[in-house]
Amino acid sequence: MPKINLSRREFLKVSGASLFLAGLPLPGFTKDKPSGTISIIMLEGGMDGLTAVPPFGDPNLLRMREDLTSTNFLKLNSFFGLHPSFEYFAGLMAQNNASIVHATSFPYVLRSHFEGQNLMQGGGLSPFSETTGWLGRALDLAKTPGRSLSLDMPLILRGSKDNDNFYPASIKSSGKLMTQLINSISKAHSKNESTAFTKISKKSTQNEVNIPRDPASLAKFAGKAMAQDGGPLASVIKVDQFDTHARQGSEKNGHHGERLVIIDDIIAGLKEGLGEAWNRSIVLTLTEFGRTVAVNGSDGTDHGYGSAGLLAGGAITKSRVISQWPGLGKNEQFEQRDLMATIDYRSVCAACIENALGLDHDLIANKVFFTPKLPRVYDLIFS
Amino acid sequence: MFRPDTPLPTDIKTWAISQLHSKSPALGIKTKNSQIQEWPQSLQPNLEKRDAMFSLFKANRKKENEGLDGQETPKAKQENRRKNLMGETDELKFSHRNVYGEDQLKLRFTSFWANHFTTGNIHDNQNHIGHAIDEAILANLNGNFSQMLYKATSHPAMLVYLDNVWSAGENSLYTKRQKSQGRQAGLNDNLGRELLELHTVSPSAKYNENDIRNAAKVLAGWGVHTAFESKSELMKLGGTTNTWDFFKKDYAEPGGKVILGKTISAGKGGLKEMTNFLASHDHTIKYISSKLCQHFVSDKPSQADIDYVISKWKQSKGDLEQIHAAVIERAIQSKEPKFQWPMTWIFQVARLSDATFFHGWNELWTYDEKLMDNNRIFEEIGQGFWHTRQPNGYSSDKNEWVSGEMFERRIRFSDAIYTAGRPKVMSSEIMDRIGANEVTRKLVADSGSEKNKFIALMCSPELMGLENA
Repeated sequence: MPKINLSRREFLKVSGASLFLAGLPLPGFTKDKPSGTISIIMLEGGMDGLTAVPPFGDPNLLRMREDLTSTNFLKLNSFFGLHPSFEYFAGLMAQNNASIVHATSFPYVLRSHFEGQNLMQGGGLSPFSETTGWLGRALDLAKTPGRSLSLDMPLILRGSKDNDNFYPASIKSSGKLMTQLINSISKAHSKNESTAFTKISKKSTQNEVNIPRDPASLAKFAGKAMAQDGGPLASVIKVDQFDTHARQGSEKNGHHGERLVIIDDIIAGLKEGLGEAWNRSIVLTLTEFGRTVAVNGSDGTDHGYGSAGLLAGGAITKSRVISQWPGLGKNEQFEQRDLMATIDYRSVCAACIENALGLDHDLIANKVFFTPKLPRVYDLIFS
Repeated sequence: MFRPDTPLPTDIKTWAISQLHSKSPALGIKTKNSQIQEWPQSLQPNLEKRDAMFSLFKANRKKENEGLDGQETPKAKQENRRKNLMGETDELKFSHRNVYGEDQLKLRFTSFWANHFTTGNIHDNQNHIGHAIDEAILANLNGNFSQMLYKATSHPAMLVYLDNVWSAGENSLYTKRQKSQGRQAGLNDNLGRELLELHTVSPSAKYNENDIRNAAKVLAGWGVHTAFESKSELMKLGGTTNTWDFFKKDYAEPGGKVILGKTISAGKGGLKEMTNFLASHDHTIKYISSKLCQHFVSDKPSQADIDYVISKWKQSKGDLEQIHAAVIERAIQSKEPKFQWPMTWIFQVARLSDATFFHGWNELWTYDEKLMDNNRIFEEIGQGFWHTRQPNGYSSDKNEWVSGEMFERRIRFSDAIYTAGRPKVMSSEIMDRIGANEVTRKLVADSGSEKNKFIALMCSPELMGLENA
């Protein structure tokens, strides 16, 4: 067997994303299975909404960040453009299968990655307040805890102890797992860990699958799994390195542009894998915060507040850019530095849960996001 | 844990604390069949050689793309790649040190601090990470925390990873010059922010954006991305070719800066003033003492454990040896199991069983039917210091790691280590040496073949650092 040498770029791509699938209905729940699926693309580091979806109609954009704005963006309407990295996504918008929410964020303004990511996954009222995640709680409410596919269990999916994960291992010189051995190891452990071992034995009969680990292949794998009858209802794919403090670039081959291409590839992979199930699916991006309006000293941007969210899927029947544009003037910025967020992104998540899992908005507002007055934006997205 | 050839100590606490002084060269194996020996100096070059290797690699990569000098042929490409295996070499050396070294305890603390001062592989940082672990962390384990903080903060691995090499004060000569020519320049606050949030005082100190900006201003001018600069350029920029003490005056922000109420002077000496101030700050001591306890003592350390470490920290004014001794005391006293990181566990399994699961340093470029590549091992186990990852590093919280997939990998790795690594020590002997508890012994006894016994032992609650049923 030849040794496989990955080029550096391939290596970066391989290590740049990881996949989680969740919410395979437990036996007995299959009849109540909601009709939709929900796929999350978590963008770690803070996606720059102003680069991804440039508001070229705002005169301050080019004045403040000419070096970061692509000269080659696609005009979506008279005000908003789309970065050239989003070739596939642009096609979906043309087919009325994709939308954008702009000037939006989770309600977190302190600019720490780790607090921000915790809030974006936990969906609580403050960072580190929750030990479960908003998607996990939603799946639990929809009575669909079950098998999930992942290496570790990201906070966003935690919620039910019945959640399990799956991510094929590729370890040389290890053979078939023996159920009896796993069971005796499991029995020696205390309850929590014992459950984790039991889950291995449940899947030990499955065939080994060697899936390539580039983001697009992971996405396709996730899509296929979700398309199956009784398959998972949710998937989470994580992409890192949006934290472009230096030499951010403006075009497709720039540091930020390359990460946007990965989002585009993931959406394409999901659609391909989902096949017909695409028609009842929703895909959305999450990021912990946007980036500063102004360019910093090293041709990059620092941590900010408002960003953009990308939505795609057959559940969307009319493409649009949903935004209450706050403006980019110095006094219109948040703390005279960041894009202001005028839409609470939790509302967008709530609408996607409502669509995919068929839960009532008030229930989601109360039990998933602990915010009874969370505005409902369902009609803005799905009407 | 003890290698089979080491006699067992009679008093574990005395032994462990004395181990804080142990000195061991990097030990390892040249090929999978060779004896344990010292790593050759030629594979542990200084920073200058590391950067030269990378610059050459980069230059040849450029030629590959342009089709120059025959660099575009598959053979030349392979050769170029083979000559820049510094990151892979360092990563293997780290595995070897953990499995074969005589300074295990120090290696455990090294892992803790290497994770605390995470420097992932982005911006072509791979040739720096191993150097930082050896020279900024391990070499400073017996000194004061303030020294480690200064050396880790000013190391190229950190300055590149958190973008500081491109940061310049808003009022620096460089920024003024650039701006007058219509070019961009100025501050980048990435390292300043993480220095406060992750490396020292933590958000509990309630610093604000001004504190962060001011920390970034103190840092402005520090570091250079050496892979792109010639020696003469380095002399021009920083007046030295020593990239671990590299300060570009033209990039520095003039004037004093106030951070959490403390005024830091302008100039190169400002960084040391700032790191000394932050190192002895109350919030730093509390935050890191608690993190140490969570890593070494218990998944949920008691306030008494944390307070004990805090008191030793304050008494010794930040002497790491005394802080580590305090952590060891509490860890030995603790009746709670402490969950072992996947990487710690895999080293422990290889070490206890004397299995040959890692390649020799001469075999980095050789395909092996049975043994996995070192970096693949870390990828599969889901943890590694050479991965691209976020600056908060790996969590010590058990809950981040307990899952079916993670546990399946423990079983599979135990199997692979047994099958491919051919342990020289039987499970029964290992249990005697570690004084295994009754649950472990019963589990192993009921498991059948020696291979199953081995897997069961390595995945027992005791060896994984988890609670018994």
